[in-house]
Amino acid sequence: MTYTSSLNTVHKQGLFGDHENKKENELIKLREIKDLTIYQLVKYKKSTADISKMNLDGLRLPEPLNVKSNSSTRILWMGPDNWLVISDKKNIYDTFKNDFLDTDFAITDLSHSRTIIEIEGELAREVIKKGCPLNINDLKEGNCSNSIFHAITITLDFISDNPQVIRILALRSFGDSLHHSITDACLEFGYKAV
Amino acid sequence: MLHIKCPYCGLRAQKEFAYGGDATVKRPELNKEVSSEEWNNFVYMRKSPRGKHIELWHHISGCRQWFKAQRDTATHEIFQTAKMSEEIK
Repeated sequence: MTYTSSLNTVHKQGLFGDHENKKENELIKLREIKDLTIYQLVKYKKSTADISKMNLDGLRLPEPLNVKSNSSTRILWMGPDNWLVISDKKNIYDTFKNDFLDTDFAITDLSHSRTIIEIEGELAREVIKKGCPLNINDLKEGNCSNSIFHAITITLDFISDNPQVIRILALRSFGDSLHHSITDACLEFGYKAV
Repeated sequence: MLHIKCPYCGLRAQKEFAYGGDATVKRPELNKEVSSEEWNNFVYMRKSPRGKHIELWHHISGCRQWFKAQRDTATHEIFQTAKMSEEIK
């Protein structure tokens, strides 16, 4: 199936907002992350599977508000017995389907249902603070959390602290609106859309 | 704005939650004859206490779990939150 991003006609490359007389490394960088494989993994209540011994692409399932990651896959904690697997491997499902049985887990392909915007720069947190009530100062690299941004339900994935890189995931249908809100919040600082 | 401690995620802003009503209401037993009045009471009739109230909240923009909270309806102070499987003391 052909994937067309919800930001296909929205995300334009270039310099925007208050970017004049600023060095490039002072600007926020915004990019859309796409073509990733995303699976939701939910353990059934009646399942007796021992998740502490299970691994997915060499990773254990993370504890609350944490992410386990390697160079190609990230597993985000979404709630009790609920994880989001995000990978650039197209065949990621084939690598774990034998360990995560459908009698123990509900596994859903959400690859086409999310829009992901990545914010990079020293002011990345300041952008998120404009629309998100979560105290993100407490969250660091390797953390994740669900929250809201201007009433849009989002997932925050803290990719890196140095440089600061944060990914915001939202339902695809909110992608346009989220992009508008994020870019609007970035204007004050100046941003480069890449 | 209230700050509510989700038993799974920690302290969060009220904006992330949805109110779910009185947590002490008991559904009539299954497979038992239920009178209209009994069913009406279960579905519609609620107390409106001034003071401590045990209620349901849903962390709808977070971990999406339901939990119980004990809140003062007059001051909005939240004394305790607990998972659905736990009791509020």
